[in-house]
Amino acid sequence: METELPHTRIRTIMKSSLDTGQINNEVLFLMTKSTEMFIKYFAKESYANAKKPSSLAYNHLADLVQSNDNLEFLLQIIPQKIKVKKFKTLLEQGEESSDSSSESD
Amino acid sequence: MVERIEDLNLPNAVISRLLKEALPDGANVSKEARAAIARAASVFVIFLTSTSTSLARKQNHKTITASNILDALKQLEFESFVDPLTKDLDAYRKVVKDKKDKAKKDSAVAENGDKDAA
Repeated sequence: METELPHTRIRTIMKSSLDTGQINNEVLFLMTKSTEMFIKYFAKESYANAKKPSSLAYNHLADLVQSNDNLEFLLQIIPQKIKVKKFKTLLEQGEESSDSSSESD
Repeated sequence: MVERIEDLNLPNAVISRLLKEALPDGANVSKEARAAIARAASVFVIFLTSTSTSLARKQNHKTITASNILDALKQLEFESFVDPLTKDLDAYRKVVKDKKDKAKKDSAVAENGDKDAA
């Protein structure tokens, strides 16, 4: 039974998580296969969700992460990007509302 | 145990191959997207491992089993993975068993060979 991802690397990543105890060959095989399946799933779903773009882009991934419950664990890993201009506007709006509340004191 | 951050990365070449298998012909993936998918995959391993470890601990086991992983996938709402992975696991177990049986058989033949020579 073949896997494509290197199982030594998968084992290293697993061990960087909590105290996992022993990792037997069967578990390593299954974890490797699960990860390959995840990669394909993430790409396929993002692609379909973006209505089959000619090129799959970062934003397509971030959009899927926002909309799928089972991808919540990736919210901080693949955040949506906003343009600097919009961020500055948000900052200004934040300052304006705090200014008006101090005036009413 | 300290790992270098590179040790937690998955190789780009393999990620690209998996993406090619997953998407239709002619579909491109931006470099940025591929890097993000690779990061997500590493995080997935950690996430699935820690969930599986929790399930094992609840059963008072120190070692994760394949069954813990399959249950963890259900818990994490990746049920669609369970059936195909179960098939892969069965095929893997069969290969391992066949190898073991063959090894036993080969060593038995070797012993008999020695007996005849004596």
